[in-house]
Amino acid sequence: MVDRPLDETQLVEQARRGDLAAWETIVRAYQGIAFRTAYLLGGSAADAEEAVQDGFVKAYRALGRFRRGAPLKPWLLRIVANEAKNRRRAAGRRDALAVRVAAEDRPGDAVPSPEAALLAGESRRRLLEAVERLSDEHRDAIACRYFLELSEDETAAALGVRRGTVKSRLSRALERLRDELGEMP
Amino acid sequence: MNELELQLVELGRELDVPAAPDLAPRVVERVEGRRPFPWRPLAVALAVVVVAVAIAFAVPPARGAILRFFHLGGASVVRVETLPPAVERSQADGLGEPLTRDAAERRVAFKLVLPSTASRVYVLGDSLASVVVRAYGRTVLVSEFPGRGEFLEKLVAGRTDVERLQVDGQPALWLEGAPHVLQYFDRHRGFREEPILIRGNVLLWVHGPVTLRLEGKLTKAQALELAHRLD
Repeated sequence: MVDRPLDETQLVEQARRGDLAAWETIVRAYQGIAFRTAYLLGGSAADAEEAVQDGFVKAYRALGRFRRGAPLKPWLLRIVANEAKNRRRAAGRRDALAVRVAAEDRPGDAVPSPEAALLAGESRRRLLEAVERLSDEHRDAIACRYFLELSEDETAAALGVRRGTVKSRLSRALERLRDELGEMP
Repeated sequence: MNELELQLVELGRELDVPAAPDLAPRVVERVEGRRPFPWRPLAVALAVVVVAVAIAFAVPPARGAILRFFHLGGASVVRVETLPPAVERSQADGLGEPLTRDAAERRVAFKLVLPSTASRVYVLGDSLASVVVRAYGRTVLVSEFPGRGEFLEKLVAGRTDVERLQVDGQPALWLEGAPHVLQYFDRHRGFREEPILIRGNVLLWVHGPVTLRLEGKLTKAQALELAHRLD
């Protein structure tokens, strides 16, 4: 993620003129979210690493087609997401996601009772299992919009679909999750 | 956001995602060979060329030793200082599955212009179709693959000459001299054949939406004549 003020437009212009240091700065700024995107869509750390690397190389070479002044993050994420999905397609499978063990004891939280912690953990696992059972299209939309916390526009850009498509996929995916989980609102 | 959406956001924050490695040095290393042009018409072609650079950098012995690039349709030719390790094969080996012409066209999803005299069309992956024919008393391998993307890469070293030509007004490349190395990729670059050592001469040329490749111990004039007949 971006951890300091970044004049993105200027860096892109510099990179477009062949300034590799500027591109390196951009890579460092976005490689975190790019890796997380590739991992959540592809499900493998090794594939995610390759997808991000190939994505940034392709993006650099495609800078001539990048529309000046447009937001860089969705454009980058779209290239990386494509790389990740291509690898997922080629592999014919995707590793299941998991909840961090440490998530049971989050810093700053009041210490839950053992029963409450157990219920919360069970609820998260059930929700994740239900997400994993969704179709790739619905799961990708959920991953981008909620797991990556992208806006609807950014989700649309990352997945290469219209905003309306994102909205309908999310709506159907949420409906499917509610059906599967029964008791959830 | 409703309750379920909030729970999904919360779940996302608790997913076990490995820490992102620092990929910036490797990205920079891979793109360092050439700089992009801001001019739009050149950008697309250059992007494809540079993917070839990335592929070449992925071959360890070629790393850091790339001298020149040529791009033509779905193929790239990369001149390197040292060829990477490669296996030798006969022209008929490793070409893929033998199919009827109709089945081959369905598999690759484009119209074949390969010589129709061949009884079998070999298809590798989902994008490269080949036939083996006889011409000028020699065995000749003719392959066809999409002209957009990166399906075939050739690595050549010092003693292989690369010449720019034209076949019926379309751009072509003629490779002659010392052995060179060939590698195939599928539409997603997910499928890679082992690098193959090629001892014959090669003509690559563009034919509308596809790229053609002719390999055999032919002279340049013979290869051009054969290509002209195919066109």
